[in-house]
Amino acid sequence: MKSLASLSLWRIIILILPLVSLGQTFEYGWPDNYDKPPQCVDIPVDLRLCQGVGYHQMLLPNLLEHESMAEVKQQAGSWVPLLHKNCDPGTQLLLCSLFAPVCMERPIYPCRRLCENVRDGCSPIMAAFGFPWPHILTCDKFPQDDMCINTPNDTSTSEPNGHPPVCPPCDNEMKMDVILDHMCASEFAIKTKIQEVKRENMDRKVTLQKKKRTIKMGTLKKKDLKKLTLYLKNGADCPCTQLDNTRNTYLIMGRKVDKQYLLTGIHKWDKSNREFKKTMKKLKSHKCPAYENVFK
Amino acid sequence: MRSISSCGALLSVYYPQIFLILTSGSYLALSSVVALGANIICNKIPGLAPRQRAICQSRPDAIIIIGEGAQLGINECQYQFRYGRWNCSALGERTVFGQELRVGSKEAAFTYAITAAGVAHAVTAACSQGNLSHCGCDREKQGYHDQEEGWKWGGCSADVKYGVEFSRRFVDAREIKKNARRLMNLHNNEAGRKVLEERMKLECKCHGVSGSCTTKTCWTTLPKFREIGYVLKERYTTALEVEAVRATRFRQPSFLRLKQSRGYIKPTDTDLVFLERSPNYCEEDTVTGSAGTRGRLCNHTSPLTDGCNLMCCGRGHNTHQYTRVWQCNCKFQWCCFVKCNTCSEKTEVFTCK
Repeated sequence: MKSLASLSLWRIIILILPLVSLGQTFEYGWPDNYDKPPQCVDIPVDLRLCQGVGYHQMLLPNLLEHESMAEVKQQAGSWVPLLHKNCDPGTQLLLCSLFAPVCMERPIYPCRRLCENVRDGCSPIMAAFGFPWPHILTCDKFPQDDMCINTPNDTSTSEPNGHPPVCPPCDNEMKMDVILDHMCASEFAIKTKIQEVKRENMDRKVTLQKKKRTIKMGTLKKKDLKKLTLYLKNGADCPCTQLDNTRNTYLIMGRKVDKQYLLTGIHKWDKSNREFKKTMKKLKSHKCPAYENVFK
Repeated sequence: MRSISSCGALLSVYYPQIFLILTSGSYLALSSVVALGANIICNKIPGLAPRQRAICQSRPDAIIIIGEGAQLGINECQYQFRYGRWNCSALGERTVFGQELRVGSKEAAFTYAITAAGVAHAVTAACSQGNLSHCGCDREKQGYHDQEEGWKWGGCSADVKYGVEFSRRFVDAREIKKNARRLMNLHNNEAGRKVLEERMKLECKCHGVSGSCTTKTCWTTLPKFREIGYVLKERYTTALEVEAVRATRFRQPSFLRLKQSRGYIKPTDTDLVFLERSPNYCEEDTVTGSAGTRGRLCNHTSPLTDGCNLMCCGRGHNTHQYTRVWQCNCKFQWCCFVKCNTCSEKTEVFTCK
């Protein structure tokens, strides 16, 4: 009787052991075991990167070790312009699986294939704006098994259309949200006309007319503004209707990378367009998300 | 047949009051319970030295963290020695820091070092999370810009000095007797804390535009405690036998000397030291504190220490058959749940006679 009870107890103990050890076989776990455990929170309406991603709650801290919602929003904000480019159908899913990860008992990372597809589709466009593919999105560190996030319909194959892709800085909708996002992602913005466009190696060199008005000064200095020359990065052969028309006035955005000024956006200054007028009016009161505040 | 106790059971059985507080959901309730019950709790905890009890009463918020740190040390010890005859369990009086190991052995050296490091680790982590009053982030590293490296100190740098000092004040307060064992314990406690200090990490976060590293903030952070466990395990394998030196015949021992050396060579700060040879840990022995290996799991095909031949000390082993069941072929389904299959197989486990 006594030995039988002991045997039953021993079997129960034995059954427990494998389950305990199973917990240690997972390759991906919470970032650090002494940090606060992540919590399930609603995706806020002003986290625009992840609106309509397909789920409504996220983990905080997220998988990029952003610890507060303010930090998540601030860092996610600079990725919103990339969504407008539609460079890959999985762009939002990849970014949001890290910025606003789904609420599960353990973290679910994006699949390596999803990451590689987005990287291959989007990194040329990011390069056009002077941004390398960032370290935080290195694809090698993501899982390759089935316990990861992939595009729900992975059967989509990109059909090559007859036209070469439009230059990324020239491929913008005349829409307030898009223009404001690109304005925030750019360092400066000016109103001016184009004087000359010339090919230079892989780039296109854009010389502007003397007469300029600054919409957003940013890091630009007055003396630099006078002789400003912009480069369309890797844009020697892609079509850009704006650059072909030198008679129009343009809203031109840019940023400085090393010693060059890169063109990041160009819109026709069209006062007859209602959306453009609305944007210019909104621009006066619009505040870009600050990139330093979270850490001060 | 020995039972294997889980962490929760350990806490609830040996520290019922602490466990009661830990399970309390509301911080306000926790705060008031701590304030009201501090004296009761501190008097109920077994094995506290007088100065430890005084610290407990003056800092009741810290005693919970200390308990967690001690448990962290014990858990790591049991992990590091899970394949040995001695697996960090022992007969004898149980204190806040687990069992008091009677023999001044290499195993005692490891236990003291890992426990002191565990307390320092837990206190430092609690400071960073804002769970302890009187401490927080390392203020020396706030806002300072590193001109040479190009990044900026920010975030919450772990204040490991505070954690180490607190561990020193509390853990070392246990050593009352003026004897050789005291010197050994103090040395090993400090060695554990030194390893933690040496292994602090620099962590950085890129928060420029589009995740670029043009803007970067760095802070110091604690290593995972497993890393400390591995380092101390290495120190354990090269632990040094020492003996205490008296200035005169009737004075108390004043320092430790390497036993093998001819002169008065002292161990270094991060060496683990022991005074006595280890028992073989084969049989249960209350005098040496050995728990014995009867009923321990062993691997009947392994020639190493976890093998049945060595683990069971030649007494032989029993075989038990059971069916192992686990979840397998897990897939994440959009959106959002995980679907798994159930796998099973018949297998055997072996225990020492």
